[in-house]
Amino acid sequence: MLSAQERAHVAQVWDLIAGHEAAFGAELLLRLFTVYPSTKIYFKHLGVCPDEAQLLTHGQRVLQAVGVAVQHTDHLRAALSPLADLHAQVLRVDPANFPLLIQCFHVMLASHLQGEFTVQMQAAWDKFLTEVAMVLTEKYR
Amino acid sequence: MVHFTAEEKAAITSLWGKVNVEEAGGEALGRLLVVYPWTQRFFDNFGNLSSTSAIMGNPKVKAHGKKVLTSFGDAIKNMDNLKGAFAKLSELHCDKLHVDPENFRLLGNVLVCVLAHHFGHEFNPQVQAAFQKVVAGVANALAHKYH
Repeated sequence: MLSAQERAHVAQVWDLIAGHEAAFGAELLLRLFTVYPSTKIYFKHLGVCPDEAQLLTHGQRVLQAVGVAVQHTDHLRAALSPLADLHAQVLRVDPANFPLLIQCFHVMLASHLQGEFTVQMQAAWDKFLTEVAMVLTEKYR
Repeated sequence: MVHFTAEEKAAITSLWGKVNVEEAGGEALGRLLVVYPWTQRFFDNFGNLSSTSAIMGNPKVKAHGKKVLTSFGDAIKNMDNLKGAFAKLSELHCDKLHVDPENFRLLGNVLVCVLAHHFGHEFNPQVQAAFQKVVAGVANALAHKYH
């Protein structure tokens, strides 16, 4: 449950990402695959060495979904229900991987935004993404 | 045992040489206490931790952060024997400080964020990978003597 202040910080973070979903998404995936190579098993359809175009396409998809979540922080379950079904029935990404993605997200934002990505923004963003991950894995069993 | 390639060691040592240990230490510990507030349980005697600004400005947080990061610098000098280098500290954290090793992983991740913050684009995926490896190695070394 995000407080009003936390929701405001999440919106602030999203403002810095919106419009650049593809670029940020691609870098997010690249960091994920570089730092945690085991995560690549969930993206076999991108090939052994995903090229820039594939990372941009898939990265954009991931970040657009994050954008949907940002617009619906009050009713994540409803907004993300189709994605939750997808993750439970098709993708079945082990829940342990979401913190790895979240870490890469923070590092990416910190490296791009530096001073603009404040401690409060990181705290709210971490809480928000953790909630999103929980919703996405809630229907697993 | 963690093995670092020559490239990883070079990337780590070169970046670490540019780190202001005092500043980064305080920043990392402060961020840990803000982003993961339950970690404050180990710092009851640190005084005012009631708000983000209180935590980030708290002199005890800064001092302790510096201490922790100075010790981390020793890890950089002993990448081939992290378990040996941190054996005594591991015993201390288990027997005297009673710190859940999960906290080492959390602090390691926060430290990587702080480095990304400072170094911006220089902190590319390969550099991040090398540092995540080092912080994971340190976390494991610190947990190694737990019983």
